[in-house]
Amino acid sequence: MRFVLAAATLAFTAGMTLAQDLSVTNGYVPVAPPSAMAHAAYFELTNESDVSRSLIGVSAEGYAMAHIHQSSEQDGIATMAMLHQLDIAPGQSVAFKPGGLHVMLMRPTASRALGEMVELELQFSDGQTLAVVMPITARKFGTDGGS
Amino acid sequence: MKWFLSFLTAVVFAVPVAAQVQGVELDAPVDLPAFTMEDELGNSFVSDDLNGAWTIIMFGFLSCPDVCPFTLGNLEAAVAETGMRVRPDNVPKVWFVSVDPERDAENISEYAKFFHPDFSSMTGSREEIDGLIEATDSFYRILPPDSTGYAEVQHSSAVSVIAPDGTLRAKLQPPFDPGLTAEFLARLQIKYRKELSQ
Repeated sequence: MRFVLAAATLAFTAGMTLAQDLSVTNGYVPVAPPSAMAHAAYFELTNESDVSRSLIGVSAEGYAMAHIHQSSEQDGIATMAMLHQLDIAPGQSVAFKPGGLHVMLMRPTASRALGEMVELELQFSDGQTLAVVMPITARKFGTDGGS
Repeated sequence: MKWFLSFLTAVVFAVPVAAQVQGVELDAPVDLPAFTMEDELGNSFVSDDLNGAWTIIMFGFLSCPDVCPFTLGNLEAAVAETGMRVRPDNVPKVWFVSVDPERDAENISEYAKFFHPDFSSMTGSREEIDGLIEATDSFYRILPPDSTGYAEVQHSSAVSVIAPDGTLRAKLQPPFDPGLTAEFLARLQIKYRKELSQ
């Protein structure tokens, strides 16, 4: 059942994104402790159009807010910076992955169990939006978490 | 241009891999101050609890979407790997200390357990936290909230390794590769036991 759902979601997502020359692939939200006040969404965002596109915001069902964030480490200090705009050149693919770019999903309104789906809406500077659905997945321990 | 960019990217990504150091042993053991941490269930975690077992102390906060869960997940894998190299009573405990008690104190207990049932999470007064931060040469800073009310916390990415005599012996650094981290911890323990027997 889960596989069918995932396949349906994939087909749905692909249909949505092709229309706008933007695609989101390999999206997932690692399952988080019940008390975690923030989750993270990871995916690859590809601009298949021939013009530059700018991601300027994200909203997420079931969360108080969502921010585009960049984690980085400088001199042994882990920091996060909020990005107000992420430019994606024509043909470019941007990876949101653990320890780097991610969508911070703040204050989940309910705990999210493995296999549940998270709906995101990516907002671009040209006014277009992109709806994507990604599953809550098990964490991939001992790796860079990338898929 | 695109070729040049991808070349640059390759170089940037290659460097951390080549320079991958999982741990740094301190030149001399560092004593930790007496401290008391707790969770909302009334469990207390005191400095004396560090005696008799290896402990890894990690600082973080519950509003941390990316780095903290990622680190705890990797520590879980590293500790499991260590368990294959050392005696069961030498497998390190993991203590997650929130540096954000204002937001986290009310539901800290479950956090680290999520990654492994034996992991503990705790927080304490600002004074207790700061004492432990200073003694372990760690760092954190809670930034003022942004326009949406979200306050970011910057913190050390390294975690502290405490020996069974309660002293700080080493720091582990990201990415906490399980095999290399386990190897480092196993060597550290052998050296510690040699020291004790001398």
